[in-house]
Amino acid sequence: MFADTFLSFIVFGTIQGSIFALLAMGFSLVYGVGGILNQAHGAFYVIAAYIFYACFAYIPQYGYLIGIIIALISTTLIGGLVYLILIKPLKESHVGVVIVTFAFAFFIEQFVGIAVDEIYHNMPYIITGYFTFFGVNIQYQYVIILVVALLLLGVISLIINKLKIGKSIRAVAQDAEAASLMGINVDRILAYTLMISAFLAGVAAILYVPVETVAPHIGWNVLLNSFAIVVLGGLGSLYGSVIGAFILAYSRSFTNYFIDPVFSALIPIIVIVIMLVLRPRGLFGKKEIK
Amino acid sequence: MKINYNFSDFKIYFRDWIRTFRAKLTIVCLIGLILIPLTGNSYIIGIFNTFMIFTIFAASWDFLAGFVGQVSFGHAIFLGIAGYATAFTIKFLNFPWWLSLILGAVIAVLFGLIIGVPALRLKGPYLALGTLAMSLILYQVFLMNTLGNLWENTFPGTKLFGANGIGQIPPISQIPGISYIVIFLIMCISLIVLTHIGKSKLGTIFKSIRDDETGAKASGINTTKYKILAFMISGFFAGIAGGLYTIRLTGVNPGSFQALYSFYAIIMASIGGLATISGSALGAFFFVFLGEILRLLGDNPSISEFFGGFTEPIFIFSIILIIIIRFAEHGLLKPVLEHLQDIWDLLLGR
Repeated sequence: MFADTFLSFIVFGTIQGSIFALLAMGFSLVYGVGGILNQAHGAFYVIAAYIFYACFAYIPQYGYLIGIIIALISTTLIGGLVYLILIKPLKESHVGVVIVTFAFAFFIEQFVGIAVDEIYHNMPYIITGYFTFFGVNIQYQYVIILVVALLLLGVISLIINKLKIGKSIRAVAQDAEAASLMGINVDRILAYTLMISAFLAGVAAILYVPVETVAPHIGWNVLLNSFAIVVLGGLGSLYGSVIGAFILAYSRSFTNYFIDPVFSALIPIIVIVIMLVLRPRGLFGKKEIK
Repeated sequence: MKINYNFSDFKIYFRDWIRTFRAKLTIVCLIGLILIPLTGNSYIIGIFNTFMIFTIFAASWDFLAGFVGQVSFGHAIFLGIAGYATAFTIKFLNFPWWLSLILGAVIAVLFGLIIGVPALRLKGPYLALGTLAMSLILYQVFLMNTLGNLWENTFPGTKLFGANGIGQIPPISQIPGISYIVIFLIMCISLIVLTHIGKSKLGTIFKSIRDDETGAKASGINTTKYKILAFMISGFFAGIAGGLYTIRLTGVNPGSFQALYSFYAIIMASIGGLATISGSALGAFFFVFLGEILRLLGDNPSISEFFGGFTEPIFIFSIILIIIIRFAEHGLLKPVLEHLQDIWDLLLGR
């Protein structure tokens, strides 16, 4: 009995951790590179989730496949457009960027609620079926989530560390002015960063929506968890956000299985307050962040 | 931290202020507001009550964002927690309404401090997201009937009120006109206090933190202390608004904690323009009445069929907010005032 619960705790923690890692990495990347606090991060998740759901519900054959393709492409494009249309003209005013992305998140929540509806929807797994591992049923969907998430995290860190565009992204993160003097188009790099972030949120949505539910307000929880993770791992630190994602997911899963499910909702705020008091720059944050 | 208060300064300021065009316009508006209960139409009185309460709420947000430069995305925390405290003390402890209001506001300030103290010690976005996180979590907590088995066993007998919240709160007075005047007076006092803090020495310190935090620190200002003070002032008035809103709606439910109400504060303050306390009144007026018109349009079957639900007030307002922040960052109050003054001068033939 105990072994079962313990194994389920590990399994769900890992699944949630990989989803959180995808979400938090994008959020952290955008903040680290552009200093942009993207309140619309949850909105990207909602957009992808609803396009995926709509394609699945209204296209009879291959709905899943078409849904995945359309959702990923449009979420990525919307990410770029949000930067160009909303964030770029307001870059000088910090308050303006925060408010405009917050308003965009509301716009998406309401739009989705009106255009589709406001009730919860469940979706079946992409691949049904499961195997039993020490008495715990592990869905194939979970395996897909873990594999895809780890692969993507690897690819993103490869892009940032090895490719030329990654070099430009790191240059802009260090010093945007110096980067633009070296002939890097800062605006284009920031737009790419937002597109990467939106793409990651889209992938997370497609992977996780069949496990959870679809509703217009799910975006706020995404934002909440991403923020808690980023505070935990350190604002702007990519590895910190991946590790923070797993720490948060395991602690949520632990309270879920061993203490009380009610308290797992409180974990993010506890993490935020404790980290802000004890170690404001996060576990792996840069020293100069005050 | 010493706040010298000199009343003769206020008198001189008031004498100068009364001569301006702005003052005359304000007084005309206030007289108009006082006359509203004479219509005797409870629907109109109700709308104006909401408008005045939202004015306090928006002004408290505007004070924090406009004067101190600290953006809070969880002002709904204050609205909700003060609402619950007011409702609880009035209904179960039989407190008089004014004591409950003050108590609610104080409790709101204490709750704000839990997130404000850690978040305000730091520069950057921590307050914005910390308050948002707090409001989202309080929403989930107050949706529950109990705080779970562990809590129940540790503190037996403590209960939350679930999705329905606390209902059947008696109004301030059985006569709607008196309730109206009470809310009106509270609004006037709140706006005067907030405006006056903005113009006082304390306000200058706040503005210096907003404009250059490092510079303020270098001049020997303890920025953390003043930021927390500003957060407390803002939380207090938002709490007052929360208590009044609860009494006005005769009840409170977890919905008060939704990010939606924080969004209301932001949109009203932004329509009026940041750092203009009286702009919040214009923003709240615009917000409440346009919202009411949109709601009536949505209720009309032929129109709602044509627009397919896209007359939903929050949907329209999110678009308006994006447009205002994008194209008119300084709000509508100043341009509106200038145009009105031009028209006034034209009428007088100046």
